[in-house]
Amino acid sequence: MRPLTEEETKTLFEKLARYVGKNITHLIDRPDEPHCFRLHEEKVYYVGETTMKKAAGINRDHLLSFGTCFGKFTKTRKFRLHITALDYLAQYSKYKVWVKPNGEMPFLYGNHVVKAHIGRITEDTPEHQGVVIYNMADNPIGFGTTARSTVEIRRLDPTAIVVFHQSDVGEYLRDENTLF
Amino acid sequence: MDVSSALEAHKKKFKTTEVEKVIPLDIDLGLLTASDINVLDDSLLKSKDTAALNKYLRRITRDGAQLLINSIFSRPTRTTEDSVIAELPKPFLKLPREKHVPKPKPLTRWEKFAQTKGIQSTKRSQKVFDEATGEYLPRWGYRGVNDAEKQWLVEVKDGADPFQDQFQKLRDEKKERVNKNQRRHQRNLEESAAEQRSISNPRSMQKKDLQRTLVLSKSSTASMGRFDRQLVGEPKVKGVKRKFKSNDVDAGEEKDTSLKLLKKVVDAPKGKIDVHKAIRKLKK
Repeated sequence: MRPLTEEETKTLFEKLARYVGKNITHLIDRPDEPHCFRLHEEKVYYVGETTMKKAAGINRDHLLSFGTCFGKFTKTRKFRLHITALDYLAQYSKYKVWVKPNGEMPFLYGNHVVKAHIGRITEDTPEHQGVVIYNMADNPIGFGTTARSTVEIRRLDPTAIVVFHQSDVGEYLRDENTLF
Repeated sequence: MDVSSALEAHKKKFKTTEVEKVIPLDIDLGLLTASDINVLDDSLLKSKDTAALNKYLRRITRDGAQLLINSIFSRPTRTTEDSVIAELPKPFLKLPREKHVPKPKPLTRWEKFAQTKGIQSTKRSQKVFDEATGEYLPRWGYRGVNDAEKQWLVEVKDGADPFQDQFQKLRDEKKERVNKNQRRHQRNLEESAAEQRSISNPRSMQKKDLQRTLVLSKSSTASMGRFDRQLVGEPKVKGVKRKFKSNDVDAGEEKDTSLKLLKKVVDAPKGKIDVHKAIRKLKK
């Protein structure tokens, strides 16, 4: 376990900023307990200070996971968000997409969101913007990137892809052993 | 017939070519430049009336150009078939040089020695008179007179080995002289390089360079030098160790650094503008 280097922190923040924008401040600057980002086996964990200190005492080989896994660094040093970060993304996300009940299952199986399945969308969502996807009961079920802006979506036909799938809660079952 | 009134009317249509200035302009005709150091009207420059300001500036420019053209017409002219040509003087304004002044060449060992001893080289003519052919030949080099091999006869000196090929000896000696000069040249280059890098001992620099080359060449095999035979006294190469921050840094300090970094990331200028949003805002 080690703190992120400056470059790693930058790539992490750049990725997070796609979804939550300036709200990352709330992740770093918390009123309750100071939290930090730690790298362990190329995965980034978001963890409170006390838990981090306890985990630091554990041998690297025996430490499986601690805090919340936000994602991993790929071998080309890009950052990939995991579905486990969804709680925080949903809490602070700026742009949201609600999916109708008939579109929920296709999305949870890893498909993109088509126009016909969209229930609501935040106004003024630009193109290629990271969005959190909710079902109509307001439960976050994943996140993705918009293919079109809100204005353009109106003109599309119902089968056109509106949000590219990036991650969904179905991964808790599908990728159970690599996720945390 | 009185045409003075008609002339007057025609004259009024144009501005006068005479311009009056408090301080006369510096005109360098060679560069076709006029520089005006008269004080500008400060109140006009600072005023927000751009139309008046533009008019004022245009007037000054026109006056300057007029003075420049007046001085061109005061030069002696000559007529060619299709035009009149005024001869311009040489420019007297000194323009700053584009590139910096070249550095002096580093002195060779011999030049340094000659300086301390006060030896000055005397200029000799490049060609000398060759009595045998009766013409002037180069002192040295191609077709030079000092080419020892060109002799048809070489004397065997007293005490020399009678069976030695004297022509071969001359050739060998020349080769040796050339090689020696090359070595000296190399040494001069190394010494001047060391001087530029402010290394007092050029040999230490040479050693370092050699070691570096050795390490590079050894690691340039297919196995990155793993199966190479070790040399005696081969320098040990230390790689660069990665360094990370300590795990238990102060929480406040870590927070500050990440917030600072975050500011850089979030405030970075974005290339695109959401055109639709901008249009809607304008409509409101």
